[in-house]
Amino acid sequence: MNRNDGTSLEAVRLWTLRLFVMTRKELLQLGRDAPLLLFLLYSFSLSVYVSGAGIAMQLNNASLVVHDGDHSESSRELIHRFHEPYFRFDGEVRDPKEGMARLDQGTAMVLLDIPPRFHEAIGSREPVSVQLQVDTTNAPQGLSAATYAARIVGRFSSDLTLSRLGAASDGTMLMPVVDSAHRVWFNQDQDETWFQSISHIMRMITLFAFLLPAAALVREKEHGTVEQLLVSPITPLQIMLSKVLAMTLVILAATALAMVTVLKPVFGVPIKGSVALFFLMTALYSFTTAGLGLFAATVARNQAQVGMMALLVISPMLLLSGIATPFEAMPSWVQTLMALSPLRYFVDVTYGILLKGVGLELLWDSMLAMALLGGTMFGLGMWRFRRQFR
Amino acid sequence: MNVRRITAVATKEWKETVRDRLFLLMSFLLPVVWMVVFGYGLVLDVEHVPFAVLDRDQSSLSRDYVYRFIESRYFDYQGSVSDERDIDRLLGDTAIRMAIVVPERFEEQLLEGRPVTIQTLLDGTFPLHADTLKGYVIAVNRAFTQERITEFLTRTRGLVPEEARRLAEPVSLETRYLYNQEVRSTWSMVPALIMFALMVASPLLTALGVVREKETGSIYNIYSATVSKAEFLIGKLVPYFTISTINVVVLWVIAVWLFGVPFKGSFTAFFLASLLFILCSTGIGLVISLLVRTQMAALIITIIIAMVPTILFSGLLVPVSSLSPGAQVQAHLFPAMYYTDVVRGSFLKGLDLKAMWTDLLALAVFAVALRLVAYSLFTKRPKA
Repeated sequence: MNRNDGTSLEAVRLWTLRLFVMTRKELLQLGRDAPLLLFLLYSFSLSVYVSGAGIAMQLNNASLVVHDGDHSESSRELIHRFHEPYFRFDGEVRDPKEGMARLDQGTAMVLLDIPPRFHEAIGSREPVSVQLQVDTTNAPQGLSAATYAARIVGRFSSDLTLSRLGAASDGTMLMPVVDSAHRVWFNQDQDETWFQSISHIMRMITLFAFLLPAAALVREKEHGTVEQLLVSPITPLQIMLSKVLAMTLVILAATALAMVTVLKPVFGVPIKGSVALFFLMTALYSFTTAGLGLFAATVARNQAQVGMMALLVISPMLLLSGIATPFEAMPSWVQTLMALSPLRYFVDVTYGILLKGVGLELLWDSMLAMALLGGTMFGLGMWRFRRQFR
Repeated sequence: MNVRRITAVATKEWKETVRDRLFLLMSFLLPVVWMVVFGYGLVLDVEHVPFAVLDRDQSSLSRDYVYRFIESRYFDYQGSVSDERDIDRLLGDTAIRMAIVVPERFEEQLLEGRPVTIQTLLDGTFPLHADTLKGYVIAVNRAFTQERITEFLTRTRGLVPEEARRLAEPVSLETRYLYNQEVRSTWSMVPALIMFALMVASPLLTALGVVREKETGSIYNIYSATVSKAEFLIGKLVPYFTISTINVVVLWVIAVWLFGVPFKGSFTAFFLASLLFILCSTGIGLVISLLVRTQMAALIITIIIAMVPTILFSGLLVPVSSLSPGAQVQAHLFPAMYYTDVVRGSFLKGLDLKAMWTDLLALAVFAVALRLVAYSLFTKRPKA
């Protein structure tokens, strides 16, 4: 009995040792690929900074040209209300055609056209309308510009109403106006650097977690070294697991680097939830995505094929899982399809922990989904891998 | 330069590509799959936003107000709550993105002609999204306010409704959306997806073609052969250039026929720009392949270099004009931006060669520069 225990303990030790040695081999091999390593460092530091600091999707200094057909006190007053940070006044045009030409060339985004007799119409209490032409080749930005313009003109209009009624009535300025007080949660100032830098890190984790183990496995197949491994006492499970382990370690280190060098000191992202939980979840996500990559690697015969498969799988994941656009805005068939994308859950987890400060009590379902997906993919990959080398 | 030797390299490369069936299939299939999936699936419009309501007034007017949100296609009603703490939980769990709190005595105040303030709580994780939502709420409020003022004036001042309405809205705004009248994000997305497909797939094809030879050692055949550097580089490109050119035409057909995006510009200009752009994107792959030793590095670096700036700095999702100065520099250093201008210009704006010559020139400069860099990096006499 006692001896039996000893041998099984010994077996476990040997198994772990082999796994450890294989993991170390993967890390060494990666460590010797200098261009790749440098690129990894860049991706998790400078690249995070550039995309965090550089991208503002909110309407920001939309270039505005004005055709003022009236040149009156009222028209100037209205133009004056189109100001930064939403609009940047880029000059007046003498003729609406000239303004249209500038929209065509893309040197202006919005053309505001104030009709002649604008001031007069306001004075004589006739209804009057101003025209706005918006370049909507980029639909969300165009729409945003139109919304802000409508807000500005609406305010101008209601100010007129109030002043008229104020003047007309007995001095009480009360009107049944519905206004709203907005409170933005989790990111009060709508600071886009937080959002962009976090989403960039997720992008990078996804790419590396898929590609590193997949490429490492296909390389062995392509070079034939995998046959050598398979005739050694190492089991297929150890071969696959060691690749996942090594690459997950690398990704965790890189994520830590991004948080320590960029996220906290440069952008001041408030890491509200538990850092340990975040790293645990990142490890789980890397494992899941690596399972996907390894599965692709068992299908592919060479690295070119695995590259194409990576593109096929990763690009929908990156664009449709809700990193850059909220998930619920996607059509329902995309939402159904993306239930298979581990990133879809990792997005909720990451924003949840880093910005909202929630814990497992709300995130357990996402965690479960990732674990299930990862386990399934890893199992399928294992099954194919074993079958190929029987 | 010897045409026969170029043909020989090209033939060899072509055979190698065609014999890898999976690879060949993917290189034609990928762009089409992307186009269809992203064309239909990548929706940037802020719609169906899940929201909840806390109605403290429970009057007919407050219900009327809330109903404006419920029936709007921009919002997706998730039910009402009775406690502010429920809102915290729902926002934290991303079950809702917005909550509206209607205060007590909402109806009473409005009927007396007094202003009322509604509370809206927004999820700020996606800042642009939160900003758009604010705009929607303000628009709903304005429409509701105008009705209330009209009603109030009719009731208290004895004005006819028509007159009261004119008084309630003296200045109105008429907005025209140019180039994309229905403001469909599909129309802005699909042309740009042609750029995405060319930019992401072609560099990978090229890069792996060269590094594979380096890794397996077959490049020594080239080193010892009579074929010159330039001949080798040109010959290598032919198959990938051909595949990408076919893809341009296929993608154009999908955009026009399947998605019904209007093509208003000149096809010649578009096609010329596409050829230049393929030269650029394959050139990027070529340069990367000469800098790295292993296919693994080539694979990862190419995919990331091709994908990340293409998503972020090409105008696909964010217009280049709203990038920060630093990021704009990066955008200009990357050929994708110029091509996006040409594609959107040709499709939606109907621009011709004259209006876009600067973009074409930039693409040509990139194509030539990348070739020169590749030529100077490539050496037939490897160290060690």
